[in-house]
Amino acid sequence: MTVSRFVLFGFVALAVLAAFQPADDPVPTGPYELKYPASFGGRFSIPADNPMTQEGVYLGRLLFYEPRLSATGTVSCASCHQQSRAFTDGLAKSVGVSGKPTRRNSMSLVNLLWVRQLFWDGRSNSLEEQTLVPLQHTDEMGLKPGEAALKIQKTAPYAALFRRVFGSDSITDGRIAKAIAQFERTLISADSPYDRFLAGKYALTAAEERGFRLFSTAPNPERGIRGGNCVHCHGGPKLMQELFHNNGLDSNATDPGRQEVTGLELDHGRFRVPTLRNITLTAPYMHDGRFTTLAAVLDHYSDHVQASPTLSRELVAAQAGGLGLTPSERNDLLAFLHLLTDTVFVNNPQFSNPHVRH
Amino acid sequence: MTRFNLLFRPAPWALFVLIGAFCLAAGTGFGQITISGEVTKPLTLQAADLKALPHTEVTGKDRDGKEHKYAGVPLADLLKLAGATMGGELRGENLMKYVVVKAIDGYETLYALPELDADFATRTIILADSVDGSPLPSGVGPYRIVVPGEKKPARWVREVKSIEVRFAK
Repeated sequence: MTVSRFVLFGFVALAVLAAFQPADDPVPTGPYELKYPASFGGRFSIPADNPMTQEGVYLGRLLFYEPRLSATGTVSCASCHQQSRAFTDGLAKSVGVSGKPTRRNSMSLVNLLWVRQLFWDGRSNSLEEQTLVPLQHTDEMGLKPGEAALKIQKTAPYAALFRRVFGSDSITDGRIAKAIAQFERTLISADSPYDRFLAGKYALTAAEERGFRLFSTAPNPERGIRGGNCVHCHGGPKLMQELFHNNGLDSNATDPGRQEVTGLELDHGRFRVPTLRNITLTAPYMHDGRFTTLAAVLDHYSDHVQASPTLSRELVAAQAGGLGLTPSERNDLLAFLHLLTDTVFVNNPQFSNPHVRH
Repeated sequence: MTRFNLLFRPAPWALFVLIGAFCLAAGTGFGQITISGEVTKPLTLQAADLKALPHTEVTGKDRDGKEHKYAGVPLADLLKLAGATMGGELRGENLMKYVVVKAIDGYETLYALPELDADFATRTIILADSVDGSPLPSGVGPYRIVVPGEKKPARWVREVKSIEVRFAK
């Protein structure tokens, strides 16, 4: 047999094989290849006992969008984490199975591969641990420990998928959490105009340039230097740092925030510094969703930071004199903040509801 | 985790000191410092324990650009207490060890062990508890790392919570 005949035979064999593939998507298998800009760095939050696999991510995505994982059969993770809103829900406080608002604002799920402490107060040290909290919260998905397995074990693909991902049919809360965590770690956003600007592939407009300068500059009234120094807590290629600060919303915070986790008085009213990625899509803002617009957020940092014993040191000066941002400075900052929206991310078909056939 | 007791001995006044220290800690929100990781004796030091340790004074330039006098316990002394491989033991693979200092707000930086060891370094990095004779202000203290001579004070971690020795992989 000549080489060309051999190749031809190969193609025919492949075509025959392909014709016998099931009409549904076959489940991809093998290690999951993470794609991210080098500037994001390799300090991942993947636990040793939950390596990323394609089949694990596939299962996790099904579970993330699975309303059977709730007491009413109507609420999935995606109810409060909607892709079109950068995985938030547009509400000040989320509503789950009980109809009662939860305590805090739904957090955007983005670049979690690099996040080590989850929730507004950082109380969970892994996505695997975090996932079980809304699953079992009476006002969120409302399941009792062990109940999730009963809800899905009779549904067609799950037993087989759990066997494929974890080596046996057994469906447990822990395995559900592991699979969902794997899917969530794939939610990488790195294609906003800001990312392209950092990569030298996007030129800022004059207003965006001025906004970027205000975003990145520490104010110095003595020398007449204007700035918001937003970058101190929200800067860098990922637009996040793992910090917990009191940003002066109240002089006496009613929600103690991180203090509940650590028991430290110094943590009173401190909350996670959230990422600014996709910030135009994640209104309302703050842990309690008190600000409906970005303009209101800028107004807070400009003129309304409240003094308190645990106010972030970076905001103490802002509290004393205020940044006093002018209307045109606010417009420039807003122009820059719009660059942080990653439309590729919110439209990525790999992150959409897999139960819906397009 | 071993509780480090420098000051307290089984004496009648011990309870009063303990209560006093507790009130101070509870009343001011002053935390404790943990030393953990690649050490033989993990420690949790209370405010009174740290106060009782020998202090060193160093001068350094803070963000205000001015020289200040800081007093505190050399990090090397704390690491020796916890049984980290300092001094004569700081050789071979132990040179691949580093220290991660974490703040209450989540900020963290690292120092290679030889940076902290008096056999290697000419400067003394301390865990400061006072500046110019006064306790560190809120938002900075109760404890802050001071690295004398370092041009940018980004590793002068404020509100220090923990010190962990790790091996680079």
